[in-house]
Amino acid sequence: MSVSIADPKMMASSSSARSLLRHTFVLTRRSVVGRLRQPAVLAPAFIFPLFFAALGSASFNKLASDPYFTANIATSFMNYAVAGAVLQGVLFGSTSAAGDLATDIEQGFFERLLASPISRTAIVLGRLAASMVVAVVQVVIFMAIFVVAGARIESGPIGFIGLIGGGALLALAMSAMMAGLAIKSGSPEVVQGAFPLVFVLMFLSSAFFPRHYMKGWYRTVADWNPLSHIVEGMQGFMNHELSASQFAKSWLIPFVLAVIGIAFALRALNNRLAAS
Amino acid sequence: MSNTITEQTVNIRTISDGARPFEVVAILVKRSMMRVRRMPSAFIPSLVMPVFQLIAFSGAFGFAVTSLGIKNALDWYVPLNAMQGASFGALGVSFGLINDMQTGFFDRILMAPTPRWVTVVSSLAAAVVRCVVPITFVVIVGYIGGMNTPGGFMAIVCVAIASIAIAVVAAGFALGLTFRMRNLGAATLTQFAIFFTIFLSTSQVPLSAMSGWLRGVARINPMTNILRFARQGFLGDVTWEQSWGGIIAMAVLLILTFIYAMTGIKKFDQ
Repeated sequence: MSVSIADPKMMASSSSARSLLRHTFVLTRRSVVGRLRQPAVLAPAFIFPLFFAALGSASFNKLASDPYFTANIATSFMNYAVAGAVLQGVLFGSTSAAGDLATDIEQGFFERLLASPISRTAIVLGRLAASMVVAVVQVVIFMAIFVVAGARIESGPIGFIGLIGGGALLALAMSAMMAGLAIKSGSPEVVQGAFPLVFVLMFLSSAFFPRHYMKGWYRTVADWNPLSHIVEGMQGFMNHELSASQFAKSWLIPFVLAVIGIAFALRALNNRLAAS
Repeated sequence: MSNTITEQTVNIRTISDGARPFEVVAILVKRSMMRVRRMPSAFIPSLVMPVFQLIAFSGAFGFAVTSLGIKNALDWYVPLNAMQGASFGALGVSFGLINDMQTGFFDRILMAPTPRWVTVVSSLAAAVVRCVVPITFVVIVGYIGGMNTPGGFMAIVCVAIASIAIAVVAAGFALGLTFRMRNLGAATLTQFAIFFTIFLSTSQVPLSAMSGWLRGVARINPMTNILRFARQGFLGDVTWEQSWGGIIAMAVLLILTFIYAMTGIKKFDQ
């Protein structure tokens, strides 16, 4: 026991893990505060998803008279639209968070962080954790608004936690990929330029309308689109009894994407460090 | 010798009478088109987005309109996306004006011996010219996708009239707002205004399929009448009953936005 305490390797590892956590926490806080100070940047991530959900529920509510829809998909179109709004809000928010990282690089703040005695990994993890925090707040606010408007979470409190977790993991995955792009390019324009691709992926999924009613190549693309399965997992929390498949779709897929995204972001960071 | 005399004559006319207004309009429109050619990155999204939205809306929401008896979802969405594509030109007008204000070019236009309405009309005319390409592109994609035009050639005429009217209305609104705000916020607000006006109408489904608050809003939104005018030839024959509401809505909006733009430039002068 005394050996393990005195072991300098272990002490160093424990101390570096602690400092990684501390630095990540500080940078997460900075990033969250930075986002809160720019309400104009954050607003679209709230306004547009809520608007589209309200529009969809008023436009397509007659779909709820289709027996297939009520039996297999959702109890009302509003209940269906909640998950799409969460997905949309999280994707908007994560992209703008990565844009902030690219701005840091462009304006030189990133170089100052690299020069300071903090963990390099924390620079990336801080941003990603901030995206998750914002996503959690976003999902909670969205749910409060939707519940007041008449939506119901059929899977109960655990389903609510499932939705929050799904939103947070999706934010992690998306912001990791976008952060990788931001570090690689160092340009906010490139990050913003990649957003239309996310927008296209969102439309080519079941975020706004059930896959069951799509036809032809559009249906095939939606079937293969991972966003369809993520959003359907979230829709499961809203509209069905709790099941493992909901977690598998809305947690596992974003988790795998997050691992790939983080690896991409850290690799981009290493390449940038090596180049500089 | 004769060449020298001609040049002198032209110079004398320019100095004493000022430039002819429509010549100036033509020159400013040409300048606006040169900007499109030199900065295609600013124009291409206004070309791609309506086509993408046409594909996305008809692919995703197709069932919602075909289940109401409409033969092909494209019949419903082509007029909408043609109008949306036309309205994007307003952003180009706003960005161009802000750029001219920042570089000082707009001050030189104001000092030129031309009436103020020339500045407004030239921007509106540029918006009309810009919108021709997106409208054509959307209609061609619609034809490739198999859209129906039971109204024949008049279907295309109606969608072209409605789209051009929306391009002018959006550009007039963008000008009025940009003259007042004088920053990029004007372009953003214009984008929001166009977006919400279009979507809070019968953009996605007919009035009969709507429920609740949206039905009430869409009923009083002038865009609903304009969309009805634009869509009629794609859903059946072109008739006066389907047209007059849209014609009145377009005329009123054109007058109001022109007044808004003109009062804006006067405020800018002051």
